[in-house]
Amino acid sequence: MASSNLYQNYGLQPSAIWDEMFDDKAVRKHYEGVSHFLSSMPDGELLKKEDLARRLFMSQGITFTVYSSGEGIEKIFPFDIIPRIITASEWDFIDRGIKQRLQALNLFLKDVYHDQFILKDGIVPFDLVYSCPHYLREMQGLNVPYDIYVHIAGIDLIRDYDGSFYVLEDNLRTPSGVSYMIENREITKRIFPDLIPQNHVRPVTQYPTILYKNLVALSQSKASNPNVVLLTPGIFNSAYFEHTTLARLMGVELVEGRDLVVENQRVYMKTTDGLQQVDVIYRRVDDHYLDPLVFDPDSMLGVSGILSAYRKGNVAIVNAIGNGVADDKAIYVYVPDMIRYYLNEEPLLKNVPTYQLAKPDERDHVLKNIQKMVVKKTNESGGYGMLMGHAASDKEIAEYIKEIQKDPRQFIAQPVVSLSTAPCYIDGKVQPRRIDLRPFALCGPSGIEIVPGGLTRVALREGSLVVNSSQGGGSKDTWVLSTH
Amino acid sequence: MLSRVADSLFWMSRYMERTDSILRMLKINHLSSQDNVDEFTWAPVLEIFSYLEDAQIKKIESNGRQVLNYMVLDRENPNSVFNMVTLSRENARAVQDNITKELWQSLNEFYHVVRDPRLQSSLQHDDPVTVLDSLIRQCMLYYGVTDITMFRGEGLCFMNIGKFLERSIQSADILDVKFRDLSYDLDKTTDTTYWKYLLMSVSGYALYLKRYQSGFEARNVVDQVLFNNTFPRSLMYSLNHLHRYLERLRSNKNADGYSRVDFMVGRLRSRLQYSNVQSVSQIGLHQFLTEITDDLYDIGSTLNQVYFAYG
Repeated sequence: MASSNLYQNYGLQPSAIWDEMFDDKAVRKHYEGVSHFLSSMPDGELLKKEDLARRLFMSQGITFTVYSSGEGIEKIFPFDIIPRIITASEWDFIDRGIKQRLQALNLFLKDVYHDQFILKDGIVPFDLVYSCPHYLREMQGLNVPYDIYVHIAGIDLIRDYDGSFYVLEDNLRTPSGVSYMIENREITKRIFPDLIPQNHVRPVTQYPTILYKNLVALSQSKASNPNVVLLTPGIFNSAYFEHTTLARLMGVELVEGRDLVVENQRVYMKTTDGLQQVDVIYRRVDDHYLDPLVFDPDSMLGVSGILSAYRKGNVAIVNAIGNGVADDKAIYVYVPDMIRYYLNEEPLLKNVPTYQLAKPDERDHVLKNIQKMVVKKTNESGGYGMLMGHAASDKEIAEYIKEIQKDPRQFIAQPVVSLSTAPCYIDGKVQPRRIDLRPFALCGPSGIEIVPGGLTRVALREGSLVVNSSQGGGSKDTWVLSTH
Repeated sequence: MLSRVADSLFWMSRYMERTDSILRMLKINHLSSQDNVDEFTWAPVLEIFSYLEDAQIKKIESNGRQVLNYMVLDRENPNSVFNMVTLSRENARAVQDNITKELWQSLNEFYHVVRDPRLQSSLQHDDPVTVLDSLIRQCMLYYGVTDITMFRGEGLCFMNIGKFLERSIQSADILDVKFRDLSYDLDKTTDTTYWKYLLMSVSGYALYLKRYQSGFEARNVVDQVLFNNTFPRSLMYSLNHLHRYLERLRSNKNADGYSRVDFMVGRLRSRLQYSNVQSVSQIGLHQFLTEITDDLYDIGSTLNQVYFAYG
């Protein structure tokens, strides 16, 4: 029996929210194929698909380990089986918008760490840069290969009530999630055979190949086969699965800090044949832990002396060190100005209106209207340190305001943006849930490439606006349709 | 290859070999316990494969189900199948980029099997042979997947070195524990089922019947487990293979280290090659096996110094 009533619980949204699948009354054209497919499934079939997906994640070890009472428990990053679909023209716009933004951000990083024209010209305030904890004096005046700082970027996009795209934040340090872009697609191929080719979905499997090509290009070594490694904090890191997947798909060695050693300002890895020089490091270790001689002296994850090898140009590090000054949430406010300043273009992707609490008038406005605001710490990510004004209790608000007044520079506020909804299969019913989109952009000497797809994160709790995995978020396979 | 990776592959493989060996031994001991008219004791098994104190062994030695649970599932027993599979899988997890996806998945699935709460109840209530067989099948999958998918490189060499080193130790241990019952007297005659089960627990029964047609004699059993080069669990066979995979690691870059290990393995191989049951019984079987296992542990620690040191 076909479950024609699959969508009966799908409460059509008030017009203040954009739904990816439905417009006012009907299914949007680009969702018709999937909608038809889902409705034609016999009762109970989707539950089986959901179960199959869970088993595939488990048996393939696409999991992260939570350690409690000495024993590891394998967890799956929740996966929703209904794909999120992006049209060819929407993608074209996103692609151009992100490329433009990244170009400007890269120029900004080069500028900040060299001549600082943008500061001298008064576009971005000096004190905002110097008060940013991720601005690293160690990078001042240092040249990086091809002037590329951001080799891998994850730009988080959301859609407002009218469907227009906004940038929520720029992730320019060690953005994660790309393995889920790749693996979610593999799972869809298994649970819904033939559905992907029928819908003319563009592939995402080329990501590791492009990344590897870019990494090799950064090598300063004369050797024909430069030694590229991926540096992971280790097996206990929640993104370890991603590190191992990327290393495997690129065919590069996955190393930990203890596998590396610096001698004569060169980085070597310890092998069964003795020391072997490393030319390029794709690191998934934060700046702060990278070199105990320069940054956190207690770090066990880094490599002593690695910064000296980097400064000497004997090793390339990806992403560059010190990028946090460009994805700081207070600097974010100035990205549209950067685009105008460096590129002389109007920004394609919009910023969410943002108040800087360091500015007294903006702070007053935010504090008066705090129920309508989302307040965030400028240097936190992953949904930590956030206040959702409409959902917080009076006590929480009062405590948070105290925090703000201690150091207003560390906070920004944004009006609540609604976020679009997409259909999700939850508890045997199709229900709308809020989503965002993180496409992954790769910058190499030959330009910026964005694999058509990305990570769609879902706020699985009903009514929730927070999509972060640390806060109960899940993910979806993300389809970009071709212009066939 | 990274030293850390070589180390992990070596141990991943050793833990799986030990798992397989222990599971077979448990299965045959269980069968043997069903045949016994007198009171059957698991004490020799617990003495050699666990770290239990004598008093604790006394407590459970005649309760087969309890022993099986301890040897297969007990979290507190470092040599339990549960812990070894977990360790093997943790090692594999840390080197996923150096093994095939198929191999990783086979270990990962084994891990989920031993964690499944249903395993505990079926080990208590169902036919133990069926349960142990299902676990042995997971080991077979691991061996098959390794053979069919793993690239023939340095990594596989370290896996095989680990496997044959562990197998040598296991075979020597099983022989030692079984002959302890007979006070290491190679001429003592005993009930033939005793030998039958010993041989079955190292999968050597069929070969024995073909090779030594004179019936069950302790000397022939020793000959097969130590010296028979067609028997894949004999010490001779295992050492020959260990040496074969070691030779593939010969390189100019680590020549000194290589010669150290090569010397030790070569010496031990020669010793076995130029020994026989006669000479073993002159030294005493226990003494002989102790010397051999000491050498095997030395090889393990030299491998560690030469190839795995990364601390």
